[in-house]
Amino acid sequence: MQSARNKPSAPRRTIPTELLQALRQRFGERFSTARAVLDQHGRDESPFEATPPDGVVFAATTDEVAEAVRLCGQHRVPIIAFGAGSSIEGHVLAVQGGITIDLSQMNKVLMVNSEDLTATVEAGVTRKQLNAAIKDTGLFFPIDPGADACLGGMAATRASGTNAVRYGTMRENVLGLTVVTADGKIIRTARRARKSSAGYDLTRIFVGSEGTLGIITEVTVRLYPQPEAVSAAVCSFPEVGNAVHTVIQTIQVGVPVARAELLDALTVRAVNRHSKTTLKEQPMLFLEFHGTPSAVREQAETVQEIARENGGEDFEWAVHPEDRTRLWNARHKAFHACIQLRPGARAFTTDACVPISRLADCIRETIEDTRTSSLPCPIFGHVGDGNFHCVIVADPNNAAEMQEAERLNQRVMQRALAMDGTCTGEHGVGMHKIPLLKEEFGDDAVDLMRRLKMAWDPLNILNPGKVVVP
Amino acid sequence: MEEERRRLAEAISTAAADKAPLRLRGGGTKDFYGARLDGKVLDTRGYHGVVNYEPSELVVTVRSGTPLVELEKTLAERGQMLAFEPPHFGQGATVGGCVATGLSGPRRASAGSVRDYILGVRLMDGRGQDLHFGGEVMKNVAGYDLSRLATGSLGTLGLLLEVSFKVLPIPKSEATLRFEMDERGAIEKMNEWAGKPLPVSATCFHDGRLTVRLSGAEAGVRAAREKLGGESVGDAPAFWAAVREQTFEAFRGAEPLWRLSLRSATPPLGLPGRQVIEWNGGLRWIASRAPAQQMREAAAKAGGHATLFRSHDKAASVFHPLPKALFDIHLRLKKTFDPAGILNPGRMYEGF
Repeated sequence: MQSARNKPSAPRRTIPTELLQALRQRFGERFSTARAVLDQHGRDESPFEATPPDGVVFAATTDEVAEAVRLCGQHRVPIIAFGAGSSIEGHVLAVQGGITIDLSQMNKVLMVNSEDLTATVEAGVTRKQLNAAIKDTGLFFPIDPGADACLGGMAATRASGTNAVRYGTMRENVLGLTVVTADGKIIRTARRARKSSAGYDLTRIFVGSEGTLGIITEVTVRLYPQPEAVSAAVCSFPEVGNAVHTVIQTIQVGVPVARAELLDALTVRAVNRHSKTTLKEQPMLFLEFHGTPSAVREQAETVQEIARENGGEDFEWAVHPEDRTRLWNARHKAFHACIQLRPGARAFTTDACVPISRLADCIRETIEDTRTSSLPCPIFGHVGDGNFHCVIVADPNNAAEMQEAERLNQRVMQRALAMDGTCTGEHGVGMHKIPLLKEEFGDDAVDLMRRLKMAWDPLNILNPGKVVVP
Repeated sequence: MEEERRRLAEAISTAAADKAPLRLRGGGTKDFYGARLDGKVLDTRGYHGVVNYEPSELVVTVRSGTPLVELEKTLAERGQMLAFEPPHFGQGATVGGCVATGLSGPRRASAGSVRDYILGVRLMDGRGQDLHFGGEVMKNVAGYDLSRLATGSLGTLGLLLEVSFKVLPIPKSEATLRFEMDERGAIEKMNEWAGKPLPVSATCFHDGRLTVRLSGAEAGVRAAREKLGGESVGDAPAFWAAVREQTFEAFRGAEPLWRLSLRSATPPLGLPGRQVIEWNGGLRWIASRAPAQQMREAAAKAGGHATLFRSHDKAASVFHPLPKALFDIHLRLKKTFDPAGILNPGRMYEGF
């Protein structure tokens, strides 16, 4: 299905044969134009139709990325960085054709500094790979988007996850980057020191630029000491609002909650159906606390009291890893269980983030709005941040359903903007939130972003058609 | 306030048309910081006040001309604080200056820096356009992260009008401990503790004494205190204020004050002068007459950089010189925000 939503802002550009020849000559077997390879690089986890590039370079070093960028630049051909392909807004789709640079072979952990709590990795290293590599140091890297994404992609999309309420997102945890610019130069945004006050904070600009300002080839991140003790708690609530208030009050009293996740009743039903469990089909809150053994016990008790005052029932908490995993099982399985509500379907995952005082209203209105739809729309979210996802499950072969899903998605985004929130809390702009940026920030602010893009990438070769359009 | 905003916009567009430099200024407490001061002063203090404060959301939006003391008082009344513990460096420090200089205090090593607490900004660019970036939500990935870019840009990209901060509850309990040890031992200890789940919120080493602050829940602070030992420090808040405000005797004197930002585990540098170490070893203040080159080379060797923080003589570049490719990117960024080049020219680097 080719819908308006998937239509590129500009046509595919012509790829000169000389460029393909030059790339083949330079990269040999690591340059591919095989159909299967192109198709694999033309999609991510978004519901959009595959839009393959014209060739794929499997880069092994930063210098190779720079060379490929320079070659493409000579012919004004688009270059799209590709890591694990787990983005959900069509970030990696080659909407104007061009060459995809696959960074998955750049998968070395370059340096782990357990003394100053940093690690430097190549862009293709995945978050699980990094955590496995540092397991014995007593440290961990906390950012955990749903997929086993690679650090380059996580930095490029400013990813976050369930730990953000305590440890922040990629925005707070990337300390420095190696980036290939549009003219094929290699820059380092910071030295190894944690704090770089030399010049502008370029790190933060490249983090979240979705491959449109430069190609990230190395990432230095902050690591954290593994907590001495971890406790987990779950609790059911009659309404979403009660669960949200419990979290607000918890944060208010200074309990350093590490994770605070909410599932709505429909998601709990999906989990029950998927995992043959018998959880009460009511909104559920999942919490985790990190600290000393005595502190986490104290925290769980404080929260239990707050939850009770808010009508919470069946409060359970656990400290042993296997018991915690059992308690959190429903949360871990939520996304998969939701998709399985309709086998073969694809998911539109909304990403509204609102001030936490509006969160309960926003979720309630979304539930009311989606109830009349024929599509199942389970909701879960990172309550501590005001961010929630509505997983709209639709059949990709049914045009009417896909349109309906997009309509619901747009309404969630509009609702978030009306509540002083954002259309995207953690997934990014990608292809179809471009018009929403103007509504969120106004024409002048978006124009400034566009001018910045043109100043750094005057030929518009870096992932064109994403974030801002000329 | 609308009228005041109009006045600021007019001043900027007139200056842009005339290509006449403007020097953006709040209380002037940080005039000493940065390279050259140039242009007609545009005072931001008329644009002040809290726009929105939602203690339950941990968010405050405040106009840039608001005195920092006023903001901190407002937050303290609700048991909250700016977690990055900003230095004031004088009575009249404003919120705008705090964000534009991007300077953080002792709590930075554990809590994060100013920019980590910026949720959004309202910024007037070099054409007098009133722009919003980010917002009041905890997470926002809509478009380029220009609110964080503005932090620490020394007013060279735009005039900050309003800033939304994430704020945190004031820790329930604090304790400050002191240990006698040499520099090498102190650096090792600070790094060792930082790698453990201890509630260390600030560290300061000077003259054979390591001072450590613990902050958090009562039980956690008590447990850590027992584990670490050391001697309890009496007037701890005054001590940390003196470190933050640099009223500490080691910071005083006529020598230039260098700020070296390094890998925290860097062993003693052996540079001549008086030294104060903060941030688990990541920040080293050195009051010294040693040549700039010696400071810069030592910093670069340790993976960091050196800033000439306070000095009457600024013949040496104040900030670590940038490699050409980076300088070029800076230049293009500056031109995007301030095409006429009128906002605080030369305050950061000569040439923009």
